[in-house]
Amino acid sequence: MNAFSLSTIKIGRKVKIENIDGDKNTQLKLLSLGILPGDIIEVTGRGLCGGPISMKHDNGTFFALRRGHAAQIKVIHL
Amino acid sequence: MQTVLLVGFPNSGKSTIFNLLSGQFRKVANYSGITVDSAVGEFKTNHQAEQKIKLIDLPGIYNLVPTSIDEAITTASILNLNKVGEKYHLIALVVDLHRFEASLSLALALKKIVGKGLVLILNKDDKKKINIQAQKKLAQLIGLQIITISAKHDDGILLDQFLRAHISAAAIVPQGEFIIGHEQIELLPAIIDNQALKIKAGQEINQQVRAYHEESRRIIKQVFAENKLQSKRTKTLDKILMHPLWGSLFFIFIFYLIFHSIYTWSGPTMDFIDESITAFSNYLGHNIPAGVFNGLITDGIIAGVGGVIIFLPQIMILFFLLSLLEQSGYMARAAVMTDKVMSFFGLNGKAFLPYISGFACAIPGIMAARTIPDKKERMATILTLPFITCSARLPVYVLLIGTFVPATTIAGIFNLQALSFFFLYFLGSFFALIMAKIFRLTYFKGDSTNFIIDLPQYQRPLLKLALKNSYVKGKLFLKKAGTIILGLSIIIWFASTYPTPHTQLTQGKPAAEVAQITLEHSLLGSVGKTIEPVLRPLGMDWKMAVGLLVAMGARELFVSTMGTIYALGDVNEESQGLRNRLKAELNPRTGLPMYNLAVAWSLLIFFVFALQCTSTLAILKKETESWKIPLFMLSYMTLMAYGGSFIAYHLLL
Repeated sequence: MNAFSLSTIKIGRKVKIENIDGDKNTQLKLLSLGILPGDIIEVTGRGLCGGPISMKHDNGTFFALRRGHAAQIKVIHL
Repeated sequence: MQTVLLVGFPNSGKSTIFNLLSGQFRKVANYSGITVDSAVGEFKTNHQAEQKIKLIDLPGIYNLVPTSIDEAITTASILNLNKVGEKYHLIALVVDLHRFEASLSLALALKKIVGKGLVLILNKDDKKKINIQAQKKLAQLIGLQIITISAKHDDGILLDQFLRAHISAAAIVPQGEFIIGHEQIELLPAIIDNQALKIKAGQEINQQVRAYHEESRRIIKQVFAENKLQSKRTKTLDKILMHPLWGSLFFIFIFYLIFHSIYTWSGPTMDFIDESITAFSNYLGHNIPAGVFNGLITDGIIAGVGGVIIFLPQIMILFFLLSLLEQSGYMARAAVMTDKVMSFFGLNGKAFLPYISGFACAIPGIMAARTIPDKKERMATILTLPFITCSARLPVYVLLIGTFVPATTIAGIFNLQALSFFFLYFLGSFFALIMAKIFRLTYFKGDSTNFIIDLPQYQRPLLKLALKNSYVKGKLFLKKAGTIILGLSIIIWFASTYPTPHTQLTQGKPAAEVAQITLEHSLLGSVGKTIEPVLRPLGMDWKMAVGLLVAMGARELFVSTMGTIYALGDVNEESQGLRNRLKAELNPRTGLPMYNLAVAWSLLIFFVFALQCTSTLAILKKETESWKIPLFMLSYMTLMAYGGSFIAYHLLL
């Protein structure tokens, strides 16, 4: 399976996190919210004009992040 | 007295629990980390118990490793690094069942350094989901004492007994090894490496946080067959509210509605307060023997304080509506909606809430800016926040626009006065963002940092909490009116009355003229005349100079000072007397009316930009821990005000 960057995923798609690249601070912030590699997330919204992407974690929590961060998260389609 | 630290995620219900236990009110919010300053209260049951217990509500954290200033306050308190050096005897961690896994992982991290000094409060069990077996098993697996409550519905008696049963007699000393990243260590005020606790900075931090989460998942799996939350409602709502188009429209609609409500709802109450104050002042004026004391009471105190109290309804309505929004969980979404625009100006979506609060008053806005993780972004927000049109500018706008801008209709629908108001609001907000961008490109240069935000589940807001919040904010506002404004009003009255002119000057003259002459010879009059040359390029005379000078203390004072200056005693911005008096005032040098549209706009623009608020300066000093930033802000904003007024005056002349 090919890995995609999370920033390209359309609303309503469920994907599995393969790998979180990027700086340690971003990684840490995601980890503290309980977003780990291997988790399944669903894109629930994409902001206007390249605004943040909002997401629902499979365990029922919701979060949002900038596209720049999302680009560092590699996911695979389910 | 023993101390319990209340720790937990933002919006985990900590503040409701604080209220439950201490009987004191603490703002409850759904926005990430609105509970910025820690609250201290005593247990309600202290009067009947032998053991006296104090409760400290700390700012919400996701993790022991801080990423913003408010989170660092919590970590420092837990690690005993806080400046006050306060000891504690128990940590009560509020576990949010909506974010069970992440909360448990925080519990594991805390347990590692304080061991049995930690107990868990499972909150938001509104539907009694956790049965006794599950709770027992959880307690056994995690090795900590647990209580299950619903802070919204329970009365707190069981929780009180539970905490009393588990509080330790001796102060807790955090032990073991505490790992923190290199970046986060700067946020902690002082690292005191003691015998018991080793603080280590290193990159292992990420692995550690991950390990806690994995352990937390293992525990949950053993307790519950399925770890799926009821989140259908939030998902459905987000489909509309976070939709690129509908979500943006809803966002604009909801904030328009807030401003609309503030102005329409507050109208009748403001009129009522206004009439009551006038009646009260007249009553006192007739019943106190004429003289110094009468003047001080009616022209000094009532005119000054009354002019400020009139804004109470607006403040209370704004905070009532904001509290409803915060409780509902929408505020975090509003931050997401605005992040793109904010990032264009070098800011963060998290700056949205501080700016919105700034429309009521810059002070809560500056406090709310603590949740912005990046220091440079936070500073850029704070440095520009006073440009947002706060409620204290309103009386000045109402007076000047109402007097000098004709109420003509443009293009069939737009009222020229309403357009002027809108323009002033827009100008302030626009320059706040422009200046933020300039700061971010120069002194506070740096990359746009991370914006990763937790979106709480939508909840039905509690009306009771919103009303209480609005009440508390109203009380604080009245306290300010009763202290700072009262004090300044008294000082202004004396400064505008003494030293008194020679009796020969005032003999046989009508009262209005006497007041005029008195002011001219007073301390304030002489100061006004001294600075008049500086303000002449802006079209202002010494009387306006006095008004501006006094408004440095608090903007509202401009209106009441103008009243004193024009010898009308008690006036407010709706007062026809003052309006006619302003229009009739002649310029002694030209013989033309002193006030015209150009002068009025010159004054208005000055108020848009100038930082005329001693309370804001005081809070800035507290937040930035030096006079450097407040003094810089005072200077650059005054310069912008002067420049803006100069341009406005010469364009309209």
